[in-house]
Order: sequence, then C-alpha cells, then structure tokens
Amino acid sequence: MAIKTILIVEDDRFIGEMYVRSLKKAGYEVDWMVDGNDGLIAARNKPYDLVLLDVMLPERRGTEVLEALRGTEDLIPNSKVIVLTNFEQDDESRMAMESRADAYLIKAEITPSKLLSVIEQLN
Amino acid sequence: MAVNPLKSKPQLVKDFWPRFKRGAVVIIIVLQLLILVALAALLTTSGFFDDNPLGFAATLVAQSVLGIVASVVIYHLVARPMKHLLSALVHVAGEPTNIAPPNPNETRFEKNGFKPVLQTIYQLASDVKDPIEEGAQSAQSAIGPQAQITQPSVQSVLSSALDQAICGFVVLNQQHQIIYASKAAPLKVDTNGVQSLDLIFNDNDTIETWWAECEQTAVHAEKTWPRIPNKLPNEEDRRFFDVIATYNKGTESEMVITLIDRTHLYEVGEAELDFIAFAAHELRGPITVIRGYIDVLSDELSTVLQEDQKELFRRLAVSANRLSGYINNILNTSRYDRRHLRMHLAETTVNAVYDTIRDDMSLRASSQNRMLSVSIPEGLPTIAADTASLGEVFGNLIDNAIKYSNEGGAIEVNAASKGDFVEWIVSDHGIGMPASVVSNLFQKFYRSHRSRETVAGTGIGLYISKAIVESHGGSISVRSEDGRGSTFIVSLPTYKTVADKLKAGNNGNETLISSEGSWIKNHNMYRG
Repeated sequence: MAIKTILIVEDDRFIGEMYVRSLKKAGYEVDWMVDGNDGLIAARNKPYDLVLLDVMLPERRGTEVLEALRGTEDLIPNSKVIVLTNFEQDDESRMAMESRADAYLIKAEITPSKLLSVIEQLN
Repeated sequence: MAVNPLKSKPQLVKDFWPRFKRGAVVIIIVLQLLILVALAALLTTSGFFDDNPLGFAATLVAQSVLGIVASVVIYHLVARPMKHLLSALVHVAGEPTNIAPPNPNETRFEKNGFKPVLQTIYQLASDVKDPIEEGAQSAQSAIGPQAQITQPSVQSVLSSALDQAICGFVVLNQQHQIIYASKAAPLKVDTNGVQSLDLIFNDNDTIETWWAECEQTAVHAEKTWPRIPNKLPNEEDRRFFDVIATYNKGTESEMVITLIDRTHLYEVGEAELDFIAFAAHELRGPITVIRGYIDVLSDELSTVLQEDQKELFRRLAVSANRLSGYINNILNTSRYDRRHLRMHLAETTVNAVYDTIRDDMSLRASSQNRMLSVSIPEGLPTIAADTASLGEVFGNLIDNAIKYSNEGGAIEVNAASKGDFVEWIVSDHGIGMPASVVSNLFQKFYRSHRSRETVAGTGIGLYISKAIVESHGGSISVRSEDGRGSTFIVSLPTYKTVADKLKAGNNGNETLISSEGSWIKNHNMYRG
C-alpha cells in the first residue's frame, strides 16, 4: 500500500513547518498536530498511512501516544509509524518504542530529503 | 571483703543469697544465746532461781522458743523482698540457676505492691543489652576460661561498632553463605530465606566469578569493583558502592567484603548524564533546523542559484553535518566515560554502514578539494554492527584523513575480508605522524604538538572511535609515516563468529565483549 496521507506530531514550529513543506512538495497529504493529545485524537479519527511522531511533546509524550495507539491492541493496523526524536532516551524506553514503531530516527541526522527516502523505503 | 582481681572464679549474683542467709542464722542464734545468758544472770541475782528453780528453767525455755520463733518470723518478713530481688537479678544476669524467677503477675506481689519493683528490674534488663548476659550466652560455646572473659565483650563491641559504620561489612564462609553482615550492607533475602548481596554487577564481572577464579589460583587475593549500584536507574533509593573483596583460602571467613557507599560521589555523574541528554536535545534542535532548511533551500533554489552560490550551500551543509558529528562524539564520549555507552548490534555489511554516510562524505571531501575514492568490494562477509555508531567511526576517520592531508590530496577507502574479520581501511597521503605520536593517538584529548597549532579538533574523535570499535569486539590500528600519510584499519569480527553470543545476549554487546576479555568490558552498561 502506497503511503499518501501523513500525520506529523511535532511541537517545534520550525521543524514541523519544514517537514510539512517538503512532504507536501513531494506530493503527500499532510496534517500537523503540535501536542500529544491532539496527535492521538487525530491518529484515532482518521486512518493515516503514516504517522511521524516526536517524543518530547506537550500534554502527552510520544511514548504515551504510541502506547495508546499500539500498546494493548493495535488501533492503527493500516498505518506505519516513524518515531523522530532528538532526545536521548534510556535504553528501555527506546527499545519499547522501537518495537512498536516501523522506524526510529534521530531528527538531527535526518534532513527532509533523507526522510523522503526513508518513507520511500517503507512503501 | 577485698576483691581479688586474680581470682579466677567470677563473682556471681546468686552467691550472695546463701552467704547472707548463713550470716542471718548465725546472728539470730548468737543473739538468742546472749539474751538467754542475760536473762539467766538477771533472774539468778534477783533470787528467782533459788525460790523456784522449776519456774526459772521454764522461763528460759519459753524465752528461747519465743525468741527464736519471733526472730525467724521477722527475718522472713524483712528478707523475703530481698530474696525475690536477688533471684530476679540472677535471672536477668543470665546466671545458671534452678530457681524459677519471681513472676511479677503473682497475686501476692500485686497485693503487697512488689509487682512494679520486679517489672522495673525486668524492664531495665530488656532496655540495656546486658553485657553479662551476652557473656553468659557465648561463654557456653567458648573453649577456655580465658575466652569467657575477653572474647564476648570484643565481639559485641565489634559488631555494634561495625553497625554504626557507614561502610557495610559482609563475611562469607567457605560454603559461600553470609555468616555476618553489618547494618549498612545492602542485602536481599530470597524465597528460601537465603541472604545475598543486593548489588547489580556488570555482566559476568561479579564477586562469585572472581571467587571461583580465586579458588583455582589464589591463596590470598583482593579485588575492588568501583561504582556498583544496588538498583537500576530511576528506582528509588539507588545507591553506589565501591566493593572491596578479600579472599583468604580455607579460613572460616573465606570472603570478607567491604562496601563503601559512594552515592554522593557517583550520583553527580548520574545528574551530569541527565544534563548531557537534555543538552543534546537542545543542541540537536537547532542543528535539525539548520540542516533541514539548507536541504530544503538548496533543493528549491536549485534552478535559480549560480554555481558558486551552490558551492556556498554545500559548504553550509558540510559544516552543519560536521557540527552534528561532533555533538555525537561528545555525547558518546560522555556516555562511554560513565559506562553508559551501549551498542545495538545487528547483522549488516560495511557497505550498508558506509551507505548511511556516503553522500555526506562525498560532499565533505569535494567541498574541501580532496579526492575521495571508495572501493568496497561486494560480497564481503556480514558483520555485527550498530550502524549509527560505526557510521560515526567511519566518518571520524575520513574526517581526520581530510584534516591531515593536503588540498587536492587523495583519500582511499577500501575493505577486505581477512579470516574471521572484515577490515575497513582508510588511507591518506597527507602529513603523517612520527611513531611518538602514534603511541598516544587514541588517548582522550590527545593532540600532537604540531596539529594543536595547525589543525582544529577536540581530541576525542579517535578515543571514542576506538571505544566503539572495541564495543563491537573489533580493533583499530594505524600505520603512519611522517610526511607520507597514514592508514587506519578498523577490524570487525564477522557476524558468523559472534552470532551465537549475540543471540544469547539479547543483541546487546556485553556477552560479546566479556568473551573477548578486553578492557572495555566494564563499559557497556545501560544508558541512564
């Protein structure tokens, strides 16, 4: 299934706009939420093909959002999840997230064009 | 009576009562005799004996009987509380006796008001641990009369002193059972009630494994483990100990363990680590934006930019990438120094690892006018690697090759299979190094005198590269000739040779490293 719709959950305005801009330019349909609560609601209400999830988020951490989405049961079976963070998580939480996500990337290492190629690979 | 200190038999509380009783009986008899004599003399002088000798005799007999009965009754009344007091004292002193101690709950004691007196004695005895009592207990197991006097007090003084010490002390016997532990020692008790030390050692580097080694090889040995926590990160009341174990083969206390609580010292490091994690987040934020926007802009402006302007964008990109690399180096060095650097090893190839930095390296070399030629053959054996960390190592080495070579110089990257290892090789034809520099090259913050003046750098790139490579179970080496260039060789074990260990060790690198027996073995703990 080709990825077409993308939800970005990212509180940093500069970074969020950057992703939105380059992803839209590449032809994706993009929604952007700035806190964990809104992100969780959006992800549950609309079946996105891909969720880009930050970790350090206001209201609700990315770890909690992912736990709510894919913890006990998979509420988004048709979506892929990429965790994008600059925060150095401890091993346990990082591994927990990695096991539930389709990719775990350090934002500082990922430029928009690299992100596009990662999304290509997920297809 | 003067106390004779040399007298070997100890004076006991229970010895007093019979002596007192004997004295009292003697005094009663003597007094009665005196009274009889005095009475006889009085009656004789008054002429009563001459008038009525029968009455005289009857008076004396009556007097002696009544006198003795009165004395005995008075003696009993007066001396009975004393008797009870003494037998209570004998009891709390722990002296061997057949007499049951007086029970303060008896009705007669309640009636005559003696109950609180007895209760006070028993109360005092239970409040203060009586040294005489302790002595009496251990005297039963002691061997000679000399030991009866000295050993008990030394033992109790020692154990109470050790309980007050901040250091923990644990003594184990030859069966590896804890026979003594002071209060400060962190202990846990399993479901069978067996006590053991509650500490989290690194990997297999535990007291038990060392003990097993000692049993094979040593008679007397000592070893120190610094910075051993009793709990995992984020658990409450986490403490750090320096653990010192002393082994004495075949003795009753074969292993003596001293635990020095260094929490105040090491938790600073923990706090710093938290700080570094947050600082990294803060630094990486702006870098993400800078790298991202350079990427977006150079893409969107590609049609309108002049060739020289594009070059400026490339320089921006290269500089931002290098900055990002340095931050990773600093982060990893700080983790490594606190033993929190951990690799997540997975099967991959050197080619795949290099792919993650290929574009960046090409850009870096071309923007600085170096001829980078990469020829990694296809079909090399797979390796077990943490892609991000190994990519950093490759990046560091190429970065160095660029730094220490001349404008227009050639840099070659090769790879080859060599036995159970895959070698990744980077060579430059730059300034090279004399042997004296090579020997110090991998030390932290080391920079040669020459490069300090001419080339920018932090001196941690090679230090952390070596640490990362060794965490993979590999090694890093260098060949260099002054003025002719340097060659760095990263040698990594093939996946095949480490696969079993990795599977057993949950893909962490600890099992892999401890089997190598190298110095890095303490350096792969959790990240805190």
